[in-house]
Amino acid sequence: MTVGLLMVAAGVGAGVFGSLLGLGGGILIVPILTLGFGLDLREAVGVSLISVIMTSSAAAGVYLERHVANMRLGMTLELFTAIGALIGGSIAFLLAENVLEGLFAVLLGYVAFTMARPRTETGHDTSTLDIDPDDDAQPAAEPSALDRLSGQGYRVRNLGLGIVGAGFAGIVSALLGIGGGIIKVPLMNIGMGVPLRVATATSNMMIGITAAASAIIYVARGGIDVYSAAPTAIGVFLGATAGSRLAHRVDLRILRWLFVAVLVYTAIQMLLRAVG
Amino acid sequence: MSAAATSGRVFDAERTIGRLLIGMTYVSVALMAVGVVLMFAKGISPLDPGPPLDPTQLVAQVTSLQPAGFLWLGLLIVIAAPIARVVLAARAYARDNDRTMVLVSIAILIVLAIAVAVAVAGGE
Repeated sequence: MTVGLLMVAAGVGAGVFGSLLGLGGGILIVPILTLGFGLDLREAVGVSLISVIMTSSAAAGVYLERHVANMRLGMTLELFTAIGALIGGSIAFLLAENVLEGLFAVLLGYVAFTMARPRTETGHDTSTLDIDPDDDAQPAAEPSALDRLSGQGYRVRNLGLGIVGAGFAGIVSALLGIGGGIIKVPLMNIGMGVPLRVATATSNMMIGITAAASAIIYVARGGIDVYSAAPTAIGVFLGATAGSRLAHRVDLRILRWLFVAVLVYTAIQMLLRAVG
Repeated sequence: MSAAATSGRVFDAERTIGRLLIGMTYVSVALMAVGVVLMFAKGISPLDPGPPLDPTQLVAQVTSLQPAGFLWLGLLIVIAAPIARVVLAARAYARDNDRTMVLVSIAILIVLAIAVAVAVAGGE
């Protein structure tokens, strides 16, 4: 029972941190389960995928109810994240454990780098995005494919880049058990001109299908252990729910640097495991 | 709001889909919580190897209060939630005569069906 409670607590911690920093719990869950609880990486990835679907479904539900997510763009891109996840989920069972650990260490290093560098304003400022549920204005001329994917106050560009990036995000998600928001949000925001808030909400919505495509493969191949998945996923869900309510009360600058330190330490540990 | 071309029907469907996702998440959390309590009550550690999914035993496991039944049922609902979202969206787009988005939705479901086929073939 003690191990079970510790696993729930670890999930809560990952959920709170992930939610406060907008990363989702996956990036922390995999190292916690492998380095802290001794699970093998593939099993930890399976657990992480379930946690990621659960938290993204709850968040996406709220975003869709409030009409913040761009469902049309999200569904178009998630077709390609799902294809990527199908490829990644199949490759994951062919790669050696230490290769996956090495890839995860690289991912942790990349996330630490992106969090540590100075923030620059990119794309549209979403804080001023005007959301009017009653405004259903239609374009006057025959709309192009990009017009159809665009939203009020912004026009989507670089659909080809979005499709390739979405496929890559799907592969990474399936291999490493993360939601892939770290790729999809900048891809949509910087690469496709989607406001940050819409990109975050749309990415959250896409995560469900991306992770579900690979989770199906993990379940059928015995890559998900229910006894470790359930306590962790419940913990992540509770933590993410609490984190979203704490966000405005916490000094995120201190938390960000603490998180960078944790990521760097974890990346080194994971790299050491990878090289044996 | 989301897409500029979003019609009233799809706009309403987004609200319904949002509620469905939230509802399914809470149901899955509740089922898994029951399963975890039963696990603890039976002295099962999360580090013990869990039973694989056996769909034919799921109902029997739940009715006999075995933790695996509740845990797998909760987990399957978690995976089903985003798939249900795509199905509902496809229906809304079909009512809206948006053929492109209906095709996109169907293509997503086909990719998921391929995932199931690949998984089953690989698991044998």
